[in-house]
Amino acid sequence: MHPEPAQESDILLLKAIAARDEAALAQLYDRYRTILFGLLMRILNNREEAEDVLQEVFLQVWRKAADFDESRGRPFTWLVTLARSRGIDRLRTLASRERVAEAGAREVSEEISDAATDAFKSEQRGLVSDALAKLPDEQKRPIMLAYFDGLTQSEIATHLGSPLGTVKTRMRTGMIRLRELLAGQGESLGF
Amino acid sequence: MVHEDYKEMIPARALSALDAAEAQKLNEHLENCAECRKELDDWQATAAALAFDANPAEPSPKVRERILDEVRKDLSEGNVVPFRSTSRNLWSSFGSLGAMAAAVLFTALIVGLVVMWRQNNAIRDELQQSREFVQLVTSPGARVRELKGVDVAAGATATVAYDTNGHAMLVADKLPRVPQGKAYQLWFIVGNKPPMPGKTFAPDSSGKGRMREQMPREALDSPTFAITLEPAGGSTTPTMPIYLSSSAVN
Repeated sequence: MHPEPAQESDILLLKAIAARDEAALAQLYDRYRTILFGLLMRILNNREEAEDVLQEVFLQVWRKAADFDESRGRPFTWLVTLARSRGIDRLRTLASRERVAEAGAREVSEEISDAATDAFKSEQRGLVSDALAKLPDEQKRPIMLAYFDGLTQSEIATHLGSPLGTVKTRMRTGMIRLRELLAGQGESLGF
Repeated sequence: MVHEDYKEMIPARALSALDAAEAQKLNEHLENCAECRKELDDWQATAAALAFDANPAEPSPKVRERILDEVRKDLSEGNVVPFRSTSRNLWSSFGSLGAMAAAVLFTALIVGLVVMWRQNNAIRDELQQSREFVQLVTSPGARVRELKGVDVAAGATATVAYDTNGHAMLVADKLPRVPQGKAYQLWFIVGNKPPMPGKTFAPDSSGKGRMREQMPREALDSPTFAITLEPAGGSTTPTMPIYLSSSAVN
């Protein structure tokens, strides 16, 4: 579809999915499988679990597409929020005891998708990694431990050996800075 | 805790990093605070961008197969006519419970089957139209315009997709009910020329409407779309007010 942005066609796909169109779900899956699976691999570091959660996510999209409210955000945000939430739930179920100790130590999947998809994603990745590189480490670490390791602020405080109040302040300051750094990139990043 | 305290917690909530007690308090506040709900939506968009920090990875093709298998199963179950055990009991009951009661049940079954058959046809039609819509949207050179409801139809939305040959489909939602003898009509407006009439359509009881359309060739040049309420047979000039319209394009 040209020249409308991907967001607009994503909304149409979600509308078609809400109307029980199997082909629309397949298209949405083909469009976002690599970014969502990459996210789930980063969270779970286990291919089997990540694939299982990815399946759950798209079946939830199939059942709940009618709940998507475009006035509240873009389809990309909705999909990522859904996938991350399910990924973190699974992580918390799987590794409740070792999670705090092992946070941040897990290896990151280096599996790269096909060239076309990767080229498409590289621009967005560049924008986000540039923004993250500009955050002081003391602000970036709490954010990353929460986002990819599913730790709460108290758990992060334990993990880093920092006072809880300090963790809260640094996380909030880091998120505000991140939002400023990503401002104006919304269209590229899907929000 | 006051509003500002809750507002400060929202970035952490978008990272699901609040401890359980704080998360519960914030959730209770969110139920009653539209401003904070909007704030959370914005922070969730920022948080979602972090997904790009993960390396994209390719799942096994089996995941796609499994998802689509489940979906097909779901679709077929939705179309199943669930009368297996009932029909067996019905036939055995002719002798034992009396012909009258059985005949009443049998009639109810037949009526039920007819209703289900009609519902299945409606679902099939809807599916077929959805497929056509997706095909149209993804065809080369396809254009899509969003229409928003104004005043009398505030909250209503519609999408018109059309290709370079003027084949178009309209999907509308949350339309107000139409009075007896009336219908919605689509209009194409190009520049300062008089609006060109499209077809009429009536929404279903839930306010949803769908329609195929063949646009006039003259309407393909950056049209603005509008929907008005007209007599059921349609009009040649629109009756005001406009119910929905797309933004003007250059």
